[in-house]
Parts: sequence; C-alpha cells; structure tokens
Amino acid sequence: MKKVLLSIFALCLSLTGYAQETGSVLIKDGTVITITNGNKADTDVLIEDGIITKVGKDLSAPRGVETVDASGKYVMPGIIDAHSHIAAVDVNEWTNPVTAEVSMEESINPNDINIYWALAGGVTSIHLMHGSANVIGGQNETLKLRYGTGMDEMRFDGAPRTIKFALGENPTRVHGQGFNVKPRTRMGVEQVIRDNFDAAQDYKKNRQAYLAAKEAYENGERKNPPVPVAKNERMEVLVDILEGDIWVHTHSYRADEIMMLMRVFNDYGIENFTFQHANEAFKVAPELKKNNAYTSVFADWWAYKFEVYYSTAYNASILNANGVKNSINSDSGELIRHLNHEAAKAVHYGNTSKQDALKMITINPATQLGIDDKVGSIEEGKHGDVAIWSGHPLSIYSTAEATYIDGKKYFDRSEDPNDMRLEANPETDFEETDKRWYNENGRHGKTCLQGAKIRFTKKGMKYKSN
Amino acid sequence: MKLARITALCIALLMVFSLQVRSQSSPAEAFENVTIHTADGNTIESGTIVWRNGVITDVGKNVSIPFDAYVRDGGDSLHVYPGFIDGLAQWGSPDVPDVDTSERPGDPGYKRAGIQPQRRPASLMKAGADALTEAPKHGFTAAGLGLKGQMLPGQVDLFFMQGNKTKDNVLESGIGVLAQFEEAQGQAYPSTTMGVMSEFRQLFHDAKALNQQEYYFASVSSNYPPPQENKTLEALYPVMDQEQPFYFVVDSKENIERMFWLQDELGFNAVLISGKEAYKKADELKDRNIPVLASIDLPEEPEWRASQKEEGEEKEKEKPAEEVQEVTEEMRKFRERQQEAYKAYVQNINKLIEAGVKVGYASNGLDLSDIHKNLKTLQEEGNLSGKQILKMFTQSTADVLGYGQKLGDLEEGRIANFTVFTKSFLDDETEAQYSVSNGQIMEFESSK
Amino acid sequence: MVLFVGMSAEAQITEKAEYGKFAITNATIHTVTNGVIENGTVLIDGKKIVGVGQDVEIGSDYEKIDASGKHVYPGFMDAGTQLGLQEIGAVDVTNDQAELGEFNPHVRAFTAINPSSVSIPVTRVNGVTHVISMPVSGRLAGKATLIDLYGYSPDSMAVSPDAAIHLNWPTSKKGGWWDDRSKEEVKKDYKKNIKELNDFWSKAEFYDKMVTAYEQNPDDKQKPDADKKMQAMQEVVNGKVPVIISVDAKQDILNAIEWTQKHPDARFILAGVQDGWRVAEEIAEAGLPCLVSTLYTPERDYDNYQRPYQNPGKLHEAGVKVAIATGGVENVRNAPYHAGFAANYGLGKEEALKAITINSAEIFGVGDKLGSIEEGKQANLFIADGDPFEPMNHITQVFISGNKIPMVSRHTQLYQEYLDRGPQKNNK
Repeated sequence: MKKVLLSIFALCLSLTGYAQETGSVLIKDGTVITITNGNKADTDVLIEDGIITKVGKDLSAPRGVETVDASGKYVMPGIIDAHSHIAAVDVNEWTNPVTAEVSMEESINPNDINIYWALAGGVTSIHLMHGSANVIGGQNETLKLRYGTGMDEMRFDGAPRTIKFALGENPTRVHGQGFNVKPRTRMGVEQVIRDNFDAAQDYKKNRQAYLAAKEAYENGERKNPPVPVAKNERMEVLVDILEGDIWVHTHSYRADEIMMLMRVFNDYGIENFTFQHANEAFKVAPELKKNNAYTSVFADWWAYKFEVYYSTAYNASILNANGVKNSINSDSGELIRHLNHEAAKAVHYGNTSKQDALKMITINPATQLGIDDKVGSIEEGKHGDVAIWSGHPLSIYSTAEATYIDGKKYFDRSEDPNDMRLEANPETDFEETDKRWYNENGRHGKTCLQGAKIRFTKKGMKYKSN
Repeated sequence: MKLARITALCIALLMVFSLQVRSQSSPAEAFENVTIHTADGNTIESGTIVWRNGVITDVGKNVSIPFDAYVRDGGDSLHVYPGFIDGLAQWGSPDVPDVDTSERPGDPGYKRAGIQPQRRPASLMKAGADALTEAPKHGFTAAGLGLKGQMLPGQVDLFFMQGNKTKDNVLESGIGVLAQFEEAQGQAYPSTTMGVMSEFRQLFHDAKALNQQEYYFASVSSNYPPPQENKTLEALYPVMDQEQPFYFVVDSKENIERMFWLQDELGFNAVLISGKEAYKKADELKDRNIPVLASIDLPEEPEWRASQKEEGEEKEKEKPAEEVQEVTEEMRKFRERQQEAYKAYVQNINKLIEAGVKVGYASNGLDLSDIHKNLKTLQEEGNLSGKQILKMFTQSTADVLGYGQKLGDLEEGRIANFTVFTKSFLDDETEAQYSVSNGQIMEFESSK
Repeated sequence: MVLFVGMSAEAQITEKAEYGKFAITNATIHTVTNGVIENGTVLIDGKKIVGVGQDVEIGSDYEKIDASGKHVYPGFMDAGTQLGLQEIGAVDVTNDQAELGEFNPHVRAFTAINPSSVSIPVTRVNGVTHVISMPVSGRLAGKATLIDLYGYSPDSMAVSPDAAIHLNWPTSKKGGWWDDRSKEEVKKDYKKNIKELNDFWSKAEFYDKMVTAYEQNPDDKQKPDADKKMQAMQEVVNGKVPVIISVDAKQDILNAIEWTQKHPDARFILAGVQDGWRVAEEIAEAGLPCLVSTLYTPERDYDNYQRPYQNPGKLHEAGVKVAIATGGVENVRNAPYHAGFAANYGLGKEEALKAITINSAEIFGVGDKLGSIEEGKQANLFIADGDPFEPMNHITQVFISGNKIPMVSRHTQLYQEYLDRGPQKNNK
C-alpha cells in the first residue's frame, strides 16, 4: 500500500522533472561479456536514453551520441551487490526481534562516499539491507548507485520488495542474551517466525472482517458498527510476505537452520527466498536446489563466529555444481570495491568456470532481487548499466575504467578527481579526517550488526573490533 | 430646580466616569522621545508610543498622550523595537530524565519511547528557570515554548514572556504539536530514523481506529465496547484533522524529504523548525506552503579562516614553529570546499527568503547568549541586512504563528509587546532597559 | 587440485608430511634474488634447498616431482598477523592475542601459538608458508614471533621465537565518531601517553645500562633487582629485537619518526602506515621499513579511492622497503592478493613479489634463511600453475622447512565430502 502511494508520488515527481537521468553512449570494439549469450570480441554496445538498443559489430553513433573506444578492453554488465550496508543512515532497528514495518528505503544516505568507491569497482546496483540483529528485520531497498542524486532518484524502479530475516547467533545474542527476550536459541528462532506468521494470518482475517463491516456500516447498515481493528504496519508487511509480495532474504549460516527455514516456508507457502551468507549451505545443496532456494555468499569469510567455524571457501563452487543459483556479495564497504576479485575466488576454490563466476556478480544477484528482466546482462532492451574494464574482470591486474548507469557515466578513471565527497563538513579540519568507525579491514566492520553493537555500549565507549 | 440640575449633572458626571471606568480598567503608559523601529524597517525619530490594557493605542511622532498615561522619557537615546518572538524555544523545559531500565526494548510504552504529544509546557514548565528571565533581556516578549524530548515531546504553547510569571501567561495553548526524528532514549524502540517513521504511521493508524471506535460508541445505545481513553492518541486527532500543525524539527535535506513523505501519507500541516539545509528544498517548501522557523545556530567558522582574519589585523604575529603549516594544493582545495559549505549554511535563511518561503525565527535550544554573534555572522556573511533580521524576529514569526495582525509590529491596535534598548538591537553594547509584554512592563538594571 | 578420497570432514588432518629428498624438475623458478630460471630444478634435502638451476645433478634417491608448465616460488610471508593466537573472533576464550595491561614487553606470542589452529592449514595451502604473529593490546603489546606454518609445537614452528616487539603508537587524533573528547582533551591524553611511553623506555635504557655495567664488572656494584619487564626490554633498547610500530595517521607517523630518531640504538619498523603515501619521503629519509596491506578503505573520506592500493607502490617509489602484512587471522591466505593489488597499482609485479618474500625476511633478520630460492636457504616454497597473485591460478604443492605439506585443509575436506553427497543425498 505504501509502495503504491510512493509510486504515484514518484510518478508525480518524475513528471515534474525529478526523473532519474539517462544517457546515451556507443561503446566500441570491446570484448563484450554478455553473461547470457557468451563473450563477443570486437563488439559494440549502443545505449540510447538509458536502454541498450543494439549489441553488434560496426555500429555507428546516432547524432549527439558520444563514442567511447573500448578496443583491447572488456565490457561487462555493472556488478550487482546483493548484500550491502553502504549509503545507509541506520542499519539495524535492533530493539525488537520483529521489526518488519521499518524499511531501509527510509534510511538511505545518498551522500556516502562509499557509493563512489563502489562505482570505481564497477558496481552499479546494490541491495541495501537491514541489519541482522532481528529474526524478522526490516525491509530492504534495491538501489542504483546514482551518485550525486537524492534518495528518491537512487531507487531502482520496479524492483520487487524484499525483507531481511536473520537466524542463529546474531538475533539470539542481541535479544536472548542481551535482554532476555525470545529468541535465546535456534529453537526459539523458529517459534518467533511461526508465531508471527500465525499472528499475521489472524490479523489479516480480523482486519478484513473489520473493513468489510465498516463498508457495510457506511452503506447503511447502522445497527452493528464493528470494533475497529487498527491498521498495523508490522502485520501488513508480514501478510505481504505470506502472500508472496515480499521476497525473503535470510542471514543464515548453519545447515540445520537453513533446513528449518525451508520447512517453515514450505508450511506457509512462501516460495521466493534467498539465504544470505549461508556458510554451510554447501552441506544442503541438494535440498536448496529442490526447494528452488537461492544463496548469496561471501567468497571466503569464515571463522569469525562459531557458526561459521565449519565453512569452506568452496561453498560457491559446491552450490554452483549442485545447480543452486548463487551470488557472491560483499556485506562490506571494502569488499564491494573489488567484487570482481571476490568472484574470481570462486574459480580459485573449486571447479567454477570463469563464466559462472561472473554470473555470480551479475545475472544471479539480479535474479535474486527480481531485476533480471532489467539488468544483469548485456542484452538489447536491458538498462545501460555497464562497466568498462582494462582486462578480463576476474584478473587481479584489471581495473574498472568507466561505470555507466542508465547510459550515464558515473565513474571515469581518467577523469577521477581526488575529493569526490558530495558534501563538505564545514567544521572538520583537514588533518582530523572524518574517520568513520567502520574503517574496514577485512571482517572488522562486522557490518551486519552495525548499529546494534553501538547501542549496547555507552555513548563514548570504544568500538570493540573483533 | 437646582437639585434637579445638580442631580442631572451628577448623573451626567457619573455616566462620564462610569463610561471611563468601562473603557479604562487601568491607566495608560507611554514612552516619549524614543527612536521607534517598526518591523517593516521604518524609523521614527523622537517618537512616542502609548499603550493601555495591553494594547498599543498610538504610535508615531507628535502623538497626543492621554492625560492619565504614565510617561517615561527616552531622552532621545533609547530605541524601541517590536517584541521579538521565538517560534519555538525550550525555555523552562525540564530536562529529559535518564532512563533507568532496559527491559523489553521492543515494547517500551509511550513514555519511554518519547511519544507524549499530550504534554503541555504550561503545566510542566519550571516557572523559575533562568532562561525565562533572561529572554526578555534579549528582546523576546513572546515565544512558542516546547518541551525537551524525543519524537513527540508535547504541545507548543504560545506565551507572553514575563520572567518568572511566564508560566501563567499563556496567549494560546497548543499552537502546534512538536515532532522530531529523534530516537527513543536509552535502549528502546524506535532507535532509528526508519523506526521513528514507522512509529509515526502506526500512531496515526491507532488514533484513527480509536477515533472510529469513539464515533461508533457514540452512535449506538448498547452492545458496543467502550473505547479506552488514550490521551496520547487523542492528542493527535487535531493534527490528523489539520487543525493543529506539526512543528517538525528537521535540518538535513534528506530528513526534510522524509517529512514530506510522511506529510503525503498522513496528511498533516507542518511548520518546519530549524531547517539548517532547508534552502535545498526551498521550492518544494513554498509549493507545500510550509513556513520555516529557522535556526540561527551556524557552524563554527573553520579555524584556518578565523585565524587568517586575525592575521590580517596583526601582520607581524609570531607563531610557534609547529603551527605554521605549509598549505598544499590538496589542503587548499579542501579549504575551498569547507568554505563553500560554511557559506551555504550561513546563507540558508537568505536563500529561503529569496525563494519566497515564509521564514521566521526559532531558537530550538540555542542559548540566548549565542544569538548575538550569530546575528553578526548572518549580516557579514549571510547576506542578511539588519532590517531583514529584525523582520524575521518579529513580523515574520508572528505571521507563521498565525498572529500576524496582533503581534510582530508597533501599530495601533496590536498587542503591546516591545523592548526598549539602549542602542540599536544589533549593536555590541546594546542592553535592554525595559520589556513590555502584554502591556506589563519590566525594568532591567544596567550591567554597566 | 589434489584430491584425497575417503576423508571424514570434520576430523583433524591425519595426513603426515613427507620429509626427505625431493627434486622439483622442469619448472620456471622465480628465485627472487637471482632472476627467473626456465626449465630449472630445485633440490630439497631435509630442511634445506641444496640445489637450484638448470643443470643441477639429481641424485637417484631423490623423489622427482615433475613441474612442467608450472612455477616455483619462495614461500610467501605475511609480516603481521594474529594467526595461531586467535581461533574464533566472537568467542573470547579462543582469543589469546590481547593480554591485560599497557606495558607487556615480557609477554610472548610464541608461548600462546596454537599449532592446531584450523586456520593454519587453510593459510598454507595458498602459498603463505611463514608469518609474524603478534600480540595486539595496550601500548607495548608484547613480543611477536616468526613461525613456519607447519609443526606440532610452537618450538618446532618458530623461526625466531621473539622476532619483534609490538608498539601501538598513541594517536594524536580522535578515535572516531563516538569519541567526544574536546580538542584539548585529545591533546592532553596524547601528551600523557607519550610521556608514559618515554618514561618506560628511559627506565628500560637505564636498566640495560646498569645490568650491562654490572655484568661486565660486578666489583663495587650492587646487582640490579630482577625485573621481568625490564629484562625483556634489554634486547629491545639495544636493537637486537626490532620494534614494530603500528601507526596510520600522517601526523602520528611524523611524530613516531621523530621519536625513533631519539633512540638510535634500537631498530624500528612501521606497520599499517595507511597515510604513508603522504609522507613517503620522510619515511624513506628515516630509513624505516614499512609493513603494509592494500585491502582497506581510504584513511580519509576525501582521499582518492585508489590510495590503499597505491600505498606500497608510492612508498617504494620514495625508497622505502615495503613488506606485506595483512593484520589478519583466518584470511591470511589472501596475502598474495594484497600483493597483487599493490602490483597492479604502481608497485609492479617484481617488487610486489619481493614485498611478500625477501623484503619481509630481511626486515626480520632472516634474509639468510628465507625469502628466496637459493642454495642453502630453508626449503619454504611452493609450486603453482601460474602467477600466484592471480586468483584464477592454483597452488599445487607447498613445502615448509622441507616438509611436503599435505594439500589439505578444513576447506578442502568439506569440499571433498559435500561436492557430491553421494546416493544418500536427499534427506527429505
């Protein structure tokens, strides 16, 4: 409902000129990695008004369209990061085990320099996710990294709604251990989900009954006015999940909890779900495949918690070999800068082919986010979200040279000034450096629990890394 | 015959006297030989101002002063300004008490969550608070006072500033309901901006349902559960019905946009408080008819800039070796951007005015002692003239509060709110000598 | 990828390393110090390399390993880790890298290394054969150790049991957004910290002087009281054991350099050095080597996005000796990739290779034992099917101190078991 209102509003705005900007460009003579249709050498890509209109040889630029020479270079779809917390104001509404009503679409920070740094790594879209403190967390928002625009303009129009669930140590530690609020164990996590789904079904029934009775009252039946059932933001979202209008992305690690959630989803008829991180997904790859579950994993993070102690960097390869649609994500402002390199690790650890590794950062995350009809490959009719690379994207010696979104250039290595902040802070001195607490180096960012850790400690207490 | 005439005369005299009694419950007062500054920028030299019963009866040069008026002579050295109005101050507000529990953060209850729109400053204010006696000395004769708190701290009541008698002098209660993107204190829901947004929505849904239940309950004679009283939700009814605006405290461009989203969904009227980046949304604020009670809490000037100014005055200043820094190209560019950002904040109000937005003034927590230096900066770097500042502090704020005819200027018929300064109100040495609020006069000792 | 069938997943690695005489033949040998040898042979006898070259005579009792089409590299070194000291970051009882107290020069990482850490095999199969593992907390955190990633006790693993002492340089900047101290408070705290450091250091110098004088000639002297911490500092103040100074911000680096110059007898190494590219000249002038990585986000939000990748290259350009140090534990295996990024952004492949082999060895005084493929050096090396900086290539065989390492880790074991779960694959 909220989405409908917002769409109408966005439409109004777009009519007044707030529409997302598009561009046109002809990228010539590169090796085009289409993802869905093989690699094409010495091929041109023509983008007009934001859409890829032609992929072929010897194309000529229509009037007014700039030509870019990509000879000797590679052209690839923009990378899609299926798990990110950059460009966020807050990440975790950690205070309750269930907070389905909040949404990251209201927590966007369009001025985050990390957006630009991600563009410099060839990334064009991210799945801005709620944190992992809650069993049923807030809704996520799919964004395009249109750096220099505002919150509304960064939205990925038409992307399906998604929501964040979290299993395992994070919610049991935050709620059970932290505040004696269920869940304290993995057993409790299952019950929290079931309880809330049941409550949502009850709410739906009661609310619909009330609305029907209300309408009847207004149409003349004055004898028995109903007792109002207030619209409940949280329940409405849970109902939408049950009805398949919101896809579930679940932070999860252990094989047993992955199985548990599939069991629960089967019981409630939820069909579209992705397991995020899923370090032990490889143990239940056949079951995942059978249930049409998706996975979105790290290339090689492990051992930072007990639930990832029994991990393998071969996770992506095992899942891929067993036919599970898998993507590789960053969950970090540092890894997002070189997701191409993370994808290459899928080739290093196991039998994943180079082509499949590239799918894991393009068409696969697009499918998991429901935007594969628009992005994730270079095909006529899709959005002009592409990046030009100096060499094959999986080589550590390649650099992203230019990144385009909707045909508009947002990053160009040859015209890359040093200070790319959108907003300067009048009060911070040059040497002081606006140092963020999450100066990331490997796993020290603990990004999924960002926000929750801070609230635990007194203001002014040191952030405890590791 | 003589008795009849005397009687008639007595009756006549009595009538005259009784007439005068009816029309004058108190004697008039006046200042003469003062420089009178009106809100639209005019100056009346050697002027006179007369007031009675809390209303200005006459203002101008060569005004005839009623015989029963108590007159004070300004000696042509005092300046009379319309009383300044602070659209939203926290004077007298009790501090937010520390939260002593972290039980069940997800279900903290309205109080812990900071949801208390029903609270009234008139009831909770600390009558003896310093700021209440200091404010008139800075020229404030009326103010919208709010309470400190989180997302819905309470009502905004409009007061006459009369020192420690302020609490009993409400001009209008509930001119607005204070709203902020502030998380709950301690560890409680909502703890994020998105959480606060959801909470706003949920409160409106709950209020709507309660309202509906009350309506149904009233419409049937039996067989219907009585609605439970809920002062918190009921305090939102007038906002939902657009009878009371939200006094919404927001600064950043993004938060202003979030306020717009909520406004479109929930349909409330709004007055924007503070708005440090409001100029970025000036056009839309104008389209939505949202006035701004702007903050003058400007950022600190960058150190290097301030010391450069000092150096400009004392060229041969010796500096210890560590502090002399070579300015690299990178540093120079950084400073350029810093300066740009600084100027943008300082010129916020000017840009709003130029875009046609209604701009008044609100301190929203700014200390009275910080006002003067910020006004200087606004004049020197903010492209605001003294006249514009005066108007912002007076007529413009009165307009926003809905008292544009009654407050904000020195004119016959307006409420007698004004301050008598020893010099121009922007002068470094100026002091308030008298403050008149709702006709009640206070005199201040000179600090010199 | 070498497969071992029939292994049970969660078990410890039960394979034993072979040890003896090996001849790696037909390989492209990247010696690091003597160029690249095509079609070469490397002879390993016991712990050492006993022959390198194209025309090396191979004894009949040597096990031949045909490396046609493959490359041999010296084992990589990560000059800054907590490997063996930390097992699971979130589980406190498994972490031994942070002792209580500010000044712990006597505390030794060497004693707390867990040779069975699950991360050790994971690391070594990717070509990292020896690491510095160091304590991290407080001001003087303790003594770091240089260990081979193979062995059953810290004693058998240690190349230098006490390879360096770790000093966390006090920062003159604010900690982060949560740090709400005023500028004056920050300055005051900094001065206090520096004073504490200086006091401790001078006390140590004094102690060393007294003890040395006493030992040289006990006549007319009173034996100085035993003091574990001061005793531990002796080898530091006299330069025998170098000091690794962890420092990042520009002003802090300059302050640290100034401070080191007041102690010419001791030896210093800088680590972290994220703002290093800003003061590369000053670091080079001071002759301080730097332990750096590349996979972090820029120090300042107005820094160009490439600075972390460029840092080693810019330092090297100015004349600084750089070595790779990831600071990690469970992903020290990514050290080659830190080097690869450095190579691609200005350092160049050759220097990047040095930064992860001979440079770190020399910085820690073991340049005669490790860091290149030369006759007489310790046999820490690996065979790869291509450039080891490229993730698309694979390491096929690792040797550590002459031990032919089973190319097995928890990760490979889980891969074996779960790639194809077999006929019972469907639970439900």
